[in-house]
Amino acid sequence: MDMLLELDHISKIYGDLHAVDDLSLTVPQGEWLAIVGSSGSGKTTLMNMIGCMDTPSKGSVKLEGRKLEDLNAGQLADVRKNLIGLVFQKFYLVPHLTAVENVMVAQYYHSVVDEKQALEALEKVGLKDRAHHLPGQLSGGEQQRVCVARALINEPKLILADEPTGNLDEKNEKIVLDLFRQLHEQGTTIIVVTHDALVASCAEREIMLNHGVLVGEKWNDEKAREAYEAAGGKPASTGAKVESAQTGETAIGFADPTKAAKTANLLSE
Amino acid sequence: MTNTGMFFRMLFSAVFRRRSRAVMAVVASLVGAATLFCLAMICIAVPQQMNEEMRAYGANLIVTPTESGADGKTGIDSAMVKHTTEMVAAKGSEKHATYRYENVRVNAAPYVMAGIDTAEVRNLNHHWVVDGKWPSAGKVLIGRDVADAMGLEVGGRITIGYRASDNTSTSASDSSANTDASGSTSAPSDSAAGSDQGTSGSASAPSDEGAGSANAETEGETSNNTGSQSSANSSTTGSQSGQQTQDGRVSSDIMDTSGTEFRVSGIVDTGGSEDSIIYATNDDVTKLTGTTRGVDVIEYSAGTEDLNALVKSINSMTSMHVKAQPVTKITSSDTRIITMLQTLFWIVSLVVLVLTLVGVGTTISSIVSQRRNEIGLRKALGASSAAIGIEFYVESAMYGLIGGLLGTTIGFGLAQWLCVAVFDRSIGFNWWLAAGSVILAALVAVIASIPPVHRATRIDPAVVLREE
Repeated sequence: MDMLLELDHISKIYGDLHAVDDLSLTVPQGEWLAIVGSSGSGKTTLMNMIGCMDTPSKGSVKLEGRKLEDLNAGQLADVRKNLIGLVFQKFYLVPHLTAVENVMVAQYYHSVVDEKQALEALEKVGLKDRAHHLPGQLSGGEQQRVCVARALINEPKLILADEPTGNLDEKNEKIVLDLFRQLHEQGTTIIVVTHDALVASCAEREIMLNHGVLVGEKWNDEKAREAYEAAGGKPASTGAKVESAQTGETAIGFADPTKAAKTANLLSE
Repeated sequence: MTNTGMFFRMLFSAVFRRRSRAVMAVVASLVGAATLFCLAMICIAVPQQMNEEMRAYGANLIVTPTESGADGKTGIDSAMVKHTTEMVAAKGSEKHATYRYENVRVNAAPYVMAGIDTAEVRNLNHHWVVDGKWPSAGKVLIGRDVADAMGLEVGGRITIGYRASDNTSTSASDSSANTDASGSTSAPSDSAAGSDQGTSGSASAPSDEGAGSANAETEGETSNNTGSQSSANSSTTGSQSGQQTQDGRVSSDIMDTSGTEFRVSGIVDTGGSEDSIIYATNDDVTKLTGTTRGVDVIEYSAGTEDLNALVKSINSMTSMHVKAQPVTKITSSDTRIITMLQTLFWIVSLVVLVLTLVGVGTTISSIVSQRRNEIGLRKALGASSAAIGIEFYVESAMYGLIGGLLGTTIGFGLAQWLCVAVFDRSIGFNWWLAAGSVILAALVAVIASIPPVHRATRIDPAVVLREE
């Protein structure tokens, strides 16, 4: 199994604060990983480093075998547009562009604009009839689906989603998770940053951060775990000398931190 | 759709779907373009207007004969006047007047009389203050100094005598005077009467406003006057030596007051040399002298932009036997005032330009800062700094273009209104200036957007997208 992403003892340090502390992690192609943790645990910082939007203070990030620290700003922009699809909690749609134009913006910076393909992407997320509406005319769930359509339009190998359902109601949350599920089935690697237990439970694997330190890892899909280990994959680890840190090669299990009740409700539907 | 199509789609969306912000930027450009275009139009209109205004103060070009005939002087004949006028008219608008100067006597005292076409002189010299009427057949217009010296008033009578001997000169000295200075000075200065009255008075007297005084500012003026004076002296001697004797004494005609009686139709007061001249119609002068000859001076108010080129072209035609000289007093005053006005306008324009830059820059800066998230997103989607910079520069140029187009139109309306209100004249639309104004507005908008866009392209997407 090829590793799409390899984090080797990466840290992000702001003064005395270690936003991410000595984390090592490998993510194979096609895996659905959830990074969980409470607010301020370093999830988004980690996602930014994986998404080439930030650089680690220490350690190395490899995407498809390429060390990101060796790349300049232009090359990092190329990696972002060619390999990564981004989904944000606050959607970040361009307010003066219609839904289809927002999707086409990603095509514009990637390669060639194709309106038909953009409309198909919107159709996939169930928004073809809203394609020519401005973001202000769409609901939060619809805006997030446009954001997902924009993320998948260039068929990226890795989708990074930062709290993708954070601003959505349960119905729209389910729609978005279904979309991720479809993408995962098509072989797309998905890394979701969330503190939502339901969203995390949809992933094959979860790692938990606490104040920048890896404190746990668990697999929700045993087959995926076996395949991962068979391919030589190792549990995530940290070199941080902190109590309860997952420092060795043995994963420390954890309970999903929040929204347990909501998860139970949704799972029962 | 191509990527270029998408580029313009994004551009038009940014401009037309974010109208309130776009309107701010357009208005900032509009105000600048309107003010600058209005100032520029006035900058062009004012010199034209000033030229016309200054030309109302008399001639800016004088033409004199370069040689005299065998009988002393023949002047410039009517055919040559016509030809010279055609040359001047070919370079622009023109007004002209001709003068034939003769030395005459009034109560035995020497004076200069000018034969004129009343309509021409009146049309050329709007600044002359005439008490009474302009001369007509049998009536003369006398200068204020003449009137004061003889206690004359409008309606009074004046007897003017003509002596051929007063107007006879050696052709050599006359020719040299004519060649060196404006011809207007030569005729009277040759005479004994001129010498008696004082060379300065007679030499400058015939030269009309501008001509005489302007020549005082031309290079070689000293030598001109010297030439006139010397010729006057020599001719005085000549005329005296040529006088008849009676009983062994030189015959004196000091008590000879015979002549032709004219009625004083008006008194002219210019404060210049014209005040010591008697003006009559050409026909009356011809009757008085009994001879027909060409004129001594043609004065032009030439509308050409390059007066010196016109002077050169006339002087290069030696076969015309005339000499052209610019009246430097008028042209330099005109140029000085226009230069001052234009400098003032340029300074104001510069201030407006800086204010426009600040205004547009502030607006664009505000627009860019409001779009930080969008810029961060675009960078996160893989946009390069250059691509984002180009998008914003083109957008700024678009604001400038729209503002420039509207501003230029408004500026023209404003300039038109100002010119009609202040100068009482309409101005034509200058397409080149308009194109320049629109381009400048776009350029200013782009330049003003450089600092904020430069800052925007350095936005760290991670920082922006993390902000609440």
